Amino acid sequence: MTATQIDVLQRVGSQATSTLTRKSKPKVDTLAPEDCGVIAAESSRAIAARGVGMVYQSSGERFQALKGVDLDVKRGDIQLLMGPSGSGKTTLLSILAGILTPTQGNVRLLGEDITRLSSSKLAQFRLQNIGFIFQGFNLFPALTALENIEVALKLKGIRGSIARKEAYGLLEQVGLADKAKQHPQDLSGGQKQRVAIARALAGNPQLIMADEPTAALDSHNGHAVIELLRNLAKEKGRTVLIVTHDPRIIDVADNVAYLEDGMLQAN
Amino acid sequence: MASIARKNLFEDIPRFLVAQAGIMFAVSLVTIQLGVLKGFTRSTALLVDHSNADLWVASKEMVHLELTSSMPVEQVVRAQKVPGVERAEALIIRSSIWRNASGQITPIRIFGFSPNSRIFAGWDVPQGSLSDLKQPYTVMVDQSSLRNAGLSKVGDQGNIGSLPARLVGLSLSTQSIASSVFVFTSLENATAYSTAGLNTSVNCTRNSEGNLACTNTFENAPLNASPVTPPTPRTLNLADPISYVLIRAQTGENLIQLKQRLEAALPNVRVYTQAEIASQTRTYWTERTGVGFILGLGAAVGFIVGMVIVGQILYASVSDHLREFGTLKAMGASNWVIYSVILEQALWMAVLGYLPSMALCIGLGAWTQAAKGIMILITPATGGGIFVLTVAMCVGSALFAVQKVTRVDPAIVFKA
Repeated sequence: MTATQIDVLQRVGSQATSTLTRKSKPKVDTLAPEDCGVIAAESSRAIAARGVGMVYQSSGERFQALKGVDLDVKRGDIQLLMGPSGSGKTTLLSILAGILTPTQGNVRLLGEDITRLSSSKLAQFRLQNIGFIFQGFNLFPALTALENIEVALKLKGIRGSIARKEAYGLLEQVGLADKAKQHPQDLSGGQKQRVAIARALAGNPQLIMADEPTAALDSHNGHAVIELLRNLAKEKGRTVLIVTHDPRIIDVADNVAYLEDGMLQAN
Repeated sequence: MASIARKNLFEDIPRFLVAQAGIMFAVSLVTIQLGVLKGFTRSTALLVDHSNADLWVASKEMVHLELTSSMPVEQVVRAQKVPGVERAEALIIRSSIWRNASGQITPIRIFGFSPNSRIFAGWDVPQGSLSDLKQPYTVMVDQSSLRNAGLSKVGDQGNIGSLPARLVGLSLSTQSIASSVFVFTSLENATAYSTAGLNTSVNCTRNSEGNLACTNTFENAPLNASPVTPPTPRTLNLADPISYVLIRAQTGENLIQLKQRLEAALPNVRVYTQAEIASQTRTYWTERTGVGFILGLGAAVGFIVGMVIVGQILYASVSDHLREFGTLKAMGASNWVIYSVILEQALWMAVLGYLPSMALCIGLGAWTQAAKGIMILITPATGGGIFVLTVAMCVGSALFAVQKVTRVDPAIVFKA
């Protein structure tokens, strides 16, 4: 590890520690159906899910993964989705990210009812508005850190030297400018996740969807990633939805929603 | 800007090389089969291509260049009198047996022509000269046929039937792959070789209209009658059998009209242009024998093998990178973006498989031509066609892989 990397991790780590010792209690997501239809409230919501249900059918067997989930997330908030394994967290994340279409209910993202969009328009919506962070990083192993970000920019129509400059800037933001030419296999888990965060930020999306972003990381790197996510919301105004089992993230969250047996539990 | 397709392809070099070896095998198989087919087809009428005859007068029964009925020398005299004919010459084609100095026998095809002109023998003569064929019992063979005839150099001796034959020169690019060894000689020598071991006599009678009607009679000579020193081959008479009359038209002559005049003046003949007789010969070998079908089938098998190999490689590659494609889909990439990655991989594989294969086949073709006289003909058109075929093969195979990625569930990205 280079001196620069250690310095970055220490800097990020100290910020994360101060955040985690914050005394403020996170707000618990409570459903407020009476707010529906209020224009001011609508405009302040990044995510609004109503009566979302999901039924899987396989070999004649029916499995209800989600039952009537209502969820609102304000712009610029960090929203956690927690719950035991098999509670439906990932299914809900996939629906809220426009990757899965619910069998019941509807979802509005940034005011757009995504459940009414065609698959191609939905893909376009994701491309323009959502950045993804995955538990397994999902970087392209054949590409360098810089190229991984350039690919995301290219998808959004940003190419050439502009894309290269922007990708490099994003790597600088996550403290990995010196790793631009490295391939994912040459990076540590924490570095990979920071590259993935930089990729998620490519093209300046308003929503960040993260699936267990710290699960594969040690304590030090986990704190660094948590701090980056907090910065995204609080300093850059992004709405961050995180599925996690990691209790360290609770302290930076604005809201925590608990799922159990496919239903949202107030906590 | 990084290309995911190219980077994925070159990520694992050993695997890439194995894949390219498979594609090279398929492309080479198709190229060689098609090259041999084209080379074979072309070689069957090389003598026609090399000739400087404007028209070929043949028997009505002619099937292809080497399979025709005889006509008398008299037809040459008649043809020469037809208006518009600058020169008419006889061509004799006969089958016989070559026996080299060590007694090894080889089937041969004798071509007898006039060494005084280049109407028939328009080909290159790298050793010796056509005028050497004016000497009794002298022959030429194609450079590539030397070994097949058990010869090693100009000056070697052998026998055709019971008569001696001395090699006085070599021809270049004249041998048909489909035929016996071609032996070139003068009309007189060819007649002598074709009647070797036979006694010949000509009987002529005058009919009621005052015309002479002559008959050539060939009888087997007694076994002990063969002289130790053969006599000088005799000059052809009007009744001697020949295979074709080659016509050179006067400058500016309309060949279609000349054809009609020749067919009217000469009984029981059909007149062909150079292109027509070459086409008829090639069509015979490709369509009326199984050669064209077999070589075409080989090329088709090569194409199918190539598709299967490329299909498997791309399918495996897509399977290995399924999560990456799922990630691209989740990020919002359109299906076309995903397809373009796979198609770009297929195109890279096509180009990088095609170039070394073509170099290999051209080298192999040069070797087979020099060593065996077998032509693997790869013209620019063939090369271009095979490139299009290679791209079609790789892109067609990519469709299997595209199907797999089309079905990929983007939610796969959330599975650790």
